[in-house]
Amino acid sequence: MSMQQPSSLQSLQLDRKCNAVRSTLTAALCLENFSSQVVERHNKPEVEARSSPEVVPNALTISRNENEKVLIEPSVNSIRISIKIKQADEIERILCHKFTRFMMLRAENFIILRRKPITGYDISFLITNFHTEQMYKHKLVDFIIQFMEEVDKEISEMKLSLNARARIVAESYLSQVG
Amino acid sequence: MSFRNIDIDILDEEQLVQEELFEFSEGKPIEPEEALSKVNTKGVEVRNLLTRGKTEDALATAIDNPPYGLNTTEAKDLNTKIVIEVLNSIKATDIPSLVKNLSSEQQDVLMKYIYRGMASPELYSSAMLLNWHEKLTEVAGVGCIVRVITDRKTV
Repeated sequence: MSMQQPSSLQSLQLDRKCNAVRSTLTAALCLENFSSQVVERHNKPEVEARSSPEVVPNALTISRNENEKVLIEPSVNSIRISIKIKQADEIERILCHKFTRFMMLRAENFIILRRKPITGYDISFLITNFHTEQMYKHKLVDFIIQFMEEVDKEISEMKLSLNARARIVAESYLSQVG
Repeated sequence: MSFRNIDIDILDEEQLVQEELFEFSEGKPIEPEEALSKVNTKGVEVRNLLTRGKTEDALATAIDNPPYGLNTTEAKDLNTKIVIEVLNSIKATDIPSLVKNLSSEQQDVLMKYIYRGMASPELYSSAMLLNWHEKLTEVAGVGCIVRVITDRKTV
């Protein structure tokens, strides 16, 4: 089975999307330690707590089409990145669900992964100021970009191998019947 | 347990609400109807400029004086439509020079509209907007995006 090569126009668009996400993330990843204004001695990611509108600026969306979107929600001490992964058909939907579920069940190993995606998206990341203190900002941005690039590839590869396996199973089954 | 869902902090007088974060340039809010009619006249002007082939002026007019405010959603939608129409009618090869000629304030407003357009991919062509975004970031840099994030004057 030959792999379907994406046309150069499509890959150019993907490139542009990645560049747009990269520059937006670089702009949004300006985090600092910020204690809760409501509860003393608490320190919560404000993008989740939303205790005050003052500390949560405008959220930005970057999209290629309706099925491929990235939502970036910045705040003073945390940033939430949600990705909607391309799902063309039923198989891709199932594979995507299984894949993201597998990762989110192990969210603590991925450090910045959120345990649940926000509604309308398939997977979410939550980066707080503690993460940016421990890790390089440009490496974090690279990780998100790489994830975005790889996940599409991964799912289409899984789909191909699934189809190949189904074909072998059907052949061996039908050869017994025939 | 339903009482736990009640947001009691909202009753606090010290509580900051979204309206307080926003300030109009002249200090007084715009009526939604007035904003809409202004955008309508702007739309006619922009279309005239476009038919005469003055794309640069059309772009400047379209992003000039956007209907900021909290209750001017209709005017904002219409203005976004006008801006995207102009962006659509500009050839991809003309983008870099056009973007360079904009002032830094104009670049910020344009960036706001690009993000606004990308937020509703079912209405506007994202491929075109991504191209604009790339060219604008090359010229205006990351600072332009930071200003879009932090500015409370949303379009």
